[in-house]
Amino acid sequence: MTRTRRKQRTQKTQKTQRMWCLCVSVAAFFSVSFVPLVSLSRVPIVSLSRVPIVSLSQSQPSFSSKVEAVRVDVLVTERDGGSAILGLGPSDFEVLDNGVPQQVDLVSFEQIPLNVILVLDMSDSVAGERLDHLRGAGAALLGALKKGDQAALVTFSHLVVLGAGLTGDVEPVATAIDTVSGSGDTALVDGTYAGMMIGESDAGRALLIVFSDGVDTSSWLSPDAVLDAAKRSDVVVYGVTARSRLKPEFLHDLTSFTGGRLFEIEKTANLRATFLGILDEFRHRYLVSYTPRGVAKDGWHRLDVRVRNRRVTVKARPGYLAQTP
Amino acid sequence: MSARRARMSVLLLPSNDVRSTMRGVWLACCLCVIVAGGHAPLAMAGQGRSASPFRPLPPGEPVADARIDRVERWLKAVTLHEPGADDDALREVGSWSNRDLQTLWIEVNVVVQLMRNPRKGIFSVRPDSQRAPTEIRYTARQLGRLVALACAAGGIIAEPHCVDIKAATSLDADLMRLSGLAGAARLRGDGNYVLRRGALLHSDVAILTPRSAMDPVSPSPLPGPQRLRLEISDGRDVDLGQDAVHWDIARMVLDYVKPSGADAPAPGRDAMVRQWYTATAAWMQHVEQHDHLHLARAREIFPADPEVLFLSGCQREAYAAPRIQSGIRAADLPAGMSLGVASPRGELRQAEAFFRRALEVKPDHVEARLRHGRVLGGLGRHADAAAELRQAIASADDTLLVYYGNLFLGAAEEELGHRDAARLAYEQAAALYPDAQSPLVALSRLARRYGDRPGALRAIQRVFALSSDANERNDPWWTYNVAQARNADALLEELRRPFQPGAAP
Repeated sequence: MTRTRRKQRTQKTQKTQRMWCLCVSVAAFFSVSFVPLVSLSRVPIVSLSRVPIVSLSQSQPSFSSKVEAVRVDVLVTERDGGSAILGLGPSDFEVLDNGVPQQVDLVSFEQIPLNVILVLDMSDSVAGERLDHLRGAGAALLGALKKGDQAALVTFSHLVVLGAGLTGDVEPVATAIDTVSGSGDTALVDGTYAGMMIGESDAGRALLIVFSDGVDTSSWLSPDAVLDAAKRSDVVVYGVTARSRLKPEFLHDLTSFTGGRLFEIEKTANLRATFLGILDEFRHRYLVSYTPRGVAKDGWHRLDVRVRNRRVTVKARPGYLAQTP
Repeated sequence: MSARRARMSVLLLPSNDVRSTMRGVWLACCLCVIVAGGHAPLAMAGQGRSASPFRPLPPGEPVADARIDRVERWLKAVTLHEPGADDDALREVGSWSNRDLQTLWIEVNVVVQLMRNPRKGIFSVRPDSQRAPTEIRYTARQLGRLVALACAAGGIIAEPHCVDIKAATSLDADLMRLSGLAGAARLRGDGNYVLRRGALLHSDVAILTPRSAMDPVSPSPLPGPQRLRLEISDGRDVDLGQDAVHWDIARMVLDYVKPSGADAPAPGRDAMVRQWYTATAAWMQHVEQHDHLHLARAREIFPADPEVLFLSGCQREAYAAPRIQSGIRAADLPAGMSLGVASPRGELRQAEAFFRRALEVKPDHVEARLRHGRVLGGLGRHADAAAELRQAIASADDTLLVYYGNLFLGAAEEELGHRDAARLAYEQAAALYPDAQSPLVALSRLARRYGDRPGALRAIQRVFALSSDANERNDPWWTYNVAQARNADALLEELRRPFQPGAAP
């Protein structure tokens, strides 16, 4: 791809960026008025009853009062775990929804600001050195955010606590990370669900980073309930957990269903690099959008995302659960 | 959250004792059977069962004199210990090693049998790791000493056999005092002085002087009972070690309790034994030190007791929870060992059966009905669960139980597709405990499930609006796994009261 073509694409992307922020997440079909979890949300809280679908082709906008856009976060890498492939456009992608080819409306890349929600385990097992590592990793991540990005912090022991709501000012988030301490049991499932809700409270592109070195011992919600919610959401979850004899089944399933990734680390001393790696990888993902056509409105939609004429690895969520309210 | 414990223990057994629940229960009671009198079948502790007269018996190691000295010190500690007090007697017994306690189990068993029949002369032991018993060989001098101690322990020093061996002349002042106290109890119709106080001593040691560190697992089983303990922290970190056998000694001595007028031991007819099992089992659950052998023995003795059945159900329900299941999956057990814990569904099925039986015996047991309802929901029987929970809520006059009832009812109604009923139940739970996050998380999830994202966000905002200070947050769901035993301290106090100074004889 030439530099000029890339520049044009970038400009086009920037143009549609604001509209993207207003575009409702459509894994589930809602008549929505967003409830703000934060006062500093850069996205105006609007009553979005039947949001128009934004088309890449601005001259021929497509509107729908019944069907809304589906957006899919896609990571494209060289085969065998190579580096991310950049510069792809809508025509490069092929999306099958329940086996039915779809018209890709819009592909964004990198320039869309992120909503990074940190969901951190603060149970007994995190106290001490691990907590120091976690604070350091959190601070490094916040330092790597760009202008326009937002961050939020949810901590959990048996308590689920909003450390800081979504904000473009990382200072309160950093302060909240500095003041946390580890004690209590582990409500990983409840905490993750709360983080997902923050991700859904804003129309931005949400990355949920969940760190836990334990297993759930005190949540009310079942893992299945949160996996079900994840199937209706377009929040992408990355999980980081300490390696042990126990398989982190919940985080494994959750990251798989949302198109994210699970990191099982040997030592939390490497947590900083892991967090920064996640952010870097997420920035290199494409946001692919389409308006479902020729498929049933409700129920499970199996997604198959491919890149035309390229031998690459594509990582995206395997499907979504659509539901009419 | 003061009632919360980050650690718990689950007792382990050699795998041949836990092949199945029922088999595990039965064999668990046969650990280390003392068979007296060679080929004469021994009625086991009032169970009416007979142990096989294994013959010929392999000879055991000669018994060291220190073991006889220890049982004498034990008898003195039993006499001097004030139930519930952290006194010298309790500290002395608490300082004994696992090995000391394992052999003490044998000698106490022998002394107790000699209390009932001072003329017995042959004893054998069958450790839980062996199929055949091993003969315990005492020298004549050792056996004579044991008989004298039994004469004191039974308060039978004036009986012909004790007189014949001149037992009184070999006893010091402490043992003569014991003899007097035991004899006085006999005159009042209770020949179980040492048994009751011995059980209280060992349960107090287990309760009041918990060991911070466990012994490593011994490669070769010692004679006498052996218990391994798995400690689980935060559902993931586990530690396996050898546990002291205080509870085994306490259960063993109570097996010999003979109610007034009975010809043979019959602990199932004794109110104090029942009280001891319910109080100690409740305490174990309160501190999450689960021991299914304890309740298994309680059920053998009191098969239709609603409290024993209720606590049994609670134990199996706790075993089904992630905090124990995950620890068990993380455990690296020695070869040949397995846990007496089934899959979550298997544990829930057992819990359901216990709660159902408790309710058959005592239909107005509200807490059993509440937990029965929850377990039914866990087994996917949501309509039955909802009906049971509604009945429990209607009968409950305890805010805590009404909270649980509504929380679980909400879950059952949600699964039945009754959105409004589920929301109402969750809201009622939230109203009872405004600081509780679980009903709010449930409301959020309910709304999300039905596509009501604003409703989901509003509910989760209510969670975020709660205090971040753990001391100001109170969600009874966090302590549900121990809530059934919230009266454990009161039960223990009630158990000890008749044995404390100043109590009416």
